[in-house]
Amino acid sequence: MARAKENAMKKWEEMTWQEKREERFKRWLSPKNVKFVSREAEKLYKARVTRFIKAIKMEEPDRVPCILPMGYFPAYYAGVTFRTIMYDYAELKRSWLKFIHDFKDADSVNGPALVMPGRILDGLDIKNMKWPGHGLGEEAWYYQFIEGEYMKADEYDRLIRDPSDYTFRVNLPRTAGIFASFDKLPPLRSLQGNRLGLVPALADPDIRRAFQKMIDLGKEYQKWQAVVTEVSQTALAEGLPNMRGGMAGAPFDTLADMLRGTQGISVDMFRQPEKIIAYVEAITPQMIEQTIQMADNLDCPVISMPLHKGDDVFMSDKQFGKFYWPTYRKMLLAMINEGLVPFPFAEGKYNNRLKQITDMPKSGVVWYFDQTDMKEAKRILGNVSCIVGNVPSSIIVTGTKQLVKESCRKLIEDCGPGGGYILSGGAGIDKCPPENLRAMMEAVEEYGRYK
Amino acid sequence: MESVKNWKELTPRQRQEERFKRWLNAPGVRFDSPEAKKQYRARVTRFINAIRLEEGDRVPCMLPVGYFPAYYAGYDLKTVMYDYVKQRDAWLKFMRDFGDMDSFSSPGLILPAPALEIIDHKMHKWPGHGVGDDVAMYQFVEGEYIKADEYDKLIKDPTDFWLRTFMPREAGAFAPLADLPHLTPFIGIPIFYLSAFGNRAIQSALKTMMKAGNEIVKWSKITGEVARTAMKAGYPPLSGGMSGAPFDMLTDMCRGTTGIIMDMFRQPEKIIEAADRITPIVVDEAVKVAENSISPVIIMPLHKGDKTFMSQQQFEKFYWPSFKKVLLGLINEGLVPMPFAEGNYIPRLETISDMPRASIMWYFEYMDMALAKKIVGKTNGIMGNLPISIMATGTPEDVKEGCRKLIETCAPGGGYILSAAASMDKGNVANLHAMMDAAKEYGVYK
Repeated sequence: MARAKENAMKKWEEMTWQEKREERFKRWLSPKNVKFVSREAEKLYKARVTRFIKAIKMEEPDRVPCILPMGYFPAYYAGVTFRTIMYDYAELKRSWLKFIHDFKDADSVNGPALVMPGRILDGLDIKNMKWPGHGLGEEAWYYQFIEGEYMKADEYDRLIRDPSDYTFRVNLPRTAGIFASFDKLPPLRSLQGNRLGLVPALADPDIRRAFQKMIDLGKEYQKWQAVVTEVSQTALAEGLPNMRGGMAGAPFDTLADMLRGTQGISVDMFRQPEKIIAYVEAITPQMIEQTIQMADNLDCPVISMPLHKGDDVFMSDKQFGKFYWPTYRKMLLAMINEGLVPFPFAEGKYNNRLKQITDMPKSGVVWYFDQTDMKEAKRILGNVSCIVGNVPSSIIVTGTKQLVKESCRKLIEDCGPGGGYILSGGAGIDKCPPENLRAMMEAVEEYGRYK
Repeated sequence: MESVKNWKELTPRQRQEERFKRWLNAPGVRFDSPEAKKQYRARVTRFINAIRLEEGDRVPCMLPVGYFPAYYAGYDLKTVMYDYVKQRDAWLKFMRDFGDMDSFSSPGLILPAPALEIIDHKMHKWPGHGVGDDVAMYQFVEGEYIKADEYDKLIKDPTDFWLRTFMPREAGAFAPLADLPHLTPFIGIPIFYLSAFGNRAIQSALKTMMKAGNEIVKWSKITGEVARTAMKAGYPPLSGGMSGAPFDMLTDMCRGTTGIIMDMFRQPEKIIEAADRITPIVVDEAVKVAENSISPVIIMPLHKGDKTFMSQQQFEKFYWPSFKKVLLGLINEGLVPMPFAEGNYIPRLETISDMPRASIMWYFEYMDMALAKKIVGKTNGIMGNLPISIMATGTPEDVKEGCRKLIETCAPGGGYILSAAASMDKGNVANLHAMMDAAKEYGVYK
């Protein structure tokens, strides 16, 4: 962690994880490159970050903090479609800035980095996703991941033996049209021969076209990136912190979501369980390294981790203990040990997992639940972790303001006592009456004060 | 070979047979004349016989041609590295002037210097670029291209290691690749790769590589003609690809001599682990190259396993186990490894003789060929090793006499290819003719 490491009195390697985390929290509290619009904005920023930090540390802040489930709501709120903000960066900016302006009293705001640039998806000819106007209706409000066996059952050895070779020459041609010619690439790790590296491969016209296109798309990416950065910086300058520094995931999910698909992985759990374990064990240190490297460039040490295939309906407790948890746990511990705050988002239901996941250092992880019973979560996990959640999306989208407020009150009563709780929705919201989001802020103000 | 049905069910011997058939039939080649075709088949048959330890009509010969055609045509290495047309013309002139040879290959090992300059290649010096204009060879620049504590990177994800750690050090133009993120954790989300391509330095690295790619297109278009013309004229290529020993790859390319010597004492287990890791990769790579070649012979220049570099104990511990696996891996695919043991391999003969019969061709530089015939020759073919000093400075009579002795020692019973101990770059063409004459005069089996 570049900056914290410089400032720290003690050597980074000699610090406890709590000390490292304090250094990262300091950086989050005083971000170097943010020019606040006013003293007031700066004061608010610090108060809000402090609120989150206290909740993370399972202490009582001034009140329960709230992460508004803003999803892609800013587009709806600004009167444009999701497709519009994917393709029109000016509209992306306008809608996000409007949201920032109108929801100034929120505790945090996400930047628009998860609104993928449509022109780039088109240019890459992405095969494993649908998006509005591309496989989905123009009015659709989300992407759809297209699951499949992008990796065949007998390819584990090849994947494990040289993961990046597999990525380049097998996976990329299957997942993006622009890389179709990469199946013609020679192995990049050439141990022999003329030492011209990739250059001879670039004599192939198809491969040249792919590279030229990447360069062109790289320029487009810069344009999009500039807007995302500007908007995210504006939110910070207005005093609205970000509660998601970076993103990572669980090793098993990488394999199940991206490579083998639900069907493939289900069969593998019976037919070749040892291959699954060999792969997740091999990929774990790489994912850890990549995550820590990414986080070192960020002010916010909270790492959002959407989880998929470990939920109650997908696998048994025994399978979770065998395939999912050991490597994911390793990853969490490694992140904690670097002073990061893993922020897993347990999509689906985690009722059966609650006990198993208590096996963590106190206050190391912040667990965000989608449909898990929060009362039970507080009872079982509440002594170990800060928990986050989970006003049902159905209520936020279709309910009245009173209903939303009532749901928040109940959650705060169940989960708030003693600290270690952050109010949020069960999932990101795309369209809803704006007052239902405001109701959540009102609820924490009214019911969430600690005395 | 994908073209052969049931390839997976064939034994190594049957696979070798299939590859020999392809070499012999040269699919897709339209010979200049029926005579050229006849000669081609006779020449390939001669090599196949030697590999199979059969006598055939006579001892085949691999002339130590090296970069000689450049000088023969009045150019030098520097000229033909920069001028592809002159390169092609020189090689074709030599081929046409010389007449009967058992094999002739394209100048594939002459790298296109303009491409090297464009990428700011650092691993070689070449005439006019680090060594004198008149030097007849390039000089490999050894170094610690990977550090003592970087073995694990190579072991965990070889391609990632190559792309982001090694390549940025081997050429100036590749340096920005060090800024790429590790791509594997993003598998399945191709858009994440693209964030790196927004980086201007990486964009410019790609552009430079594409520019060098243009040069490769030009170069291969012009020089590729040599191989095609030679085949049509009836000269088979002896080698269909190149490979090597995992230990050499770690030493030559990665750690350098000094580095590897330290490692043999300080972290021997890392060398072994890394060599084991790259072994299947080396096999895959050679097999893939051979798919596109006519000849199944894989030449394997060997460096650091010779007597002066390591003890027999070290050879058996560090060098041979992974190399043996590579050899067996190639043999299993029906390929014929042709290790070229540079330096002195006399103490290694017993160890290396442990190989399936008629599956490999050992090419020696400094060697007691009678001993080699006795030990290795029992089960496999050998080739070598007329001293290059005689080739370069001796008279044609000296050459012929040296060849005669070699043939008398090594030829009986078959399994021998006459050749020199290394390539001749400058010298007298009469000495090459003398060698060819010796094979025809003394090498006939009765």
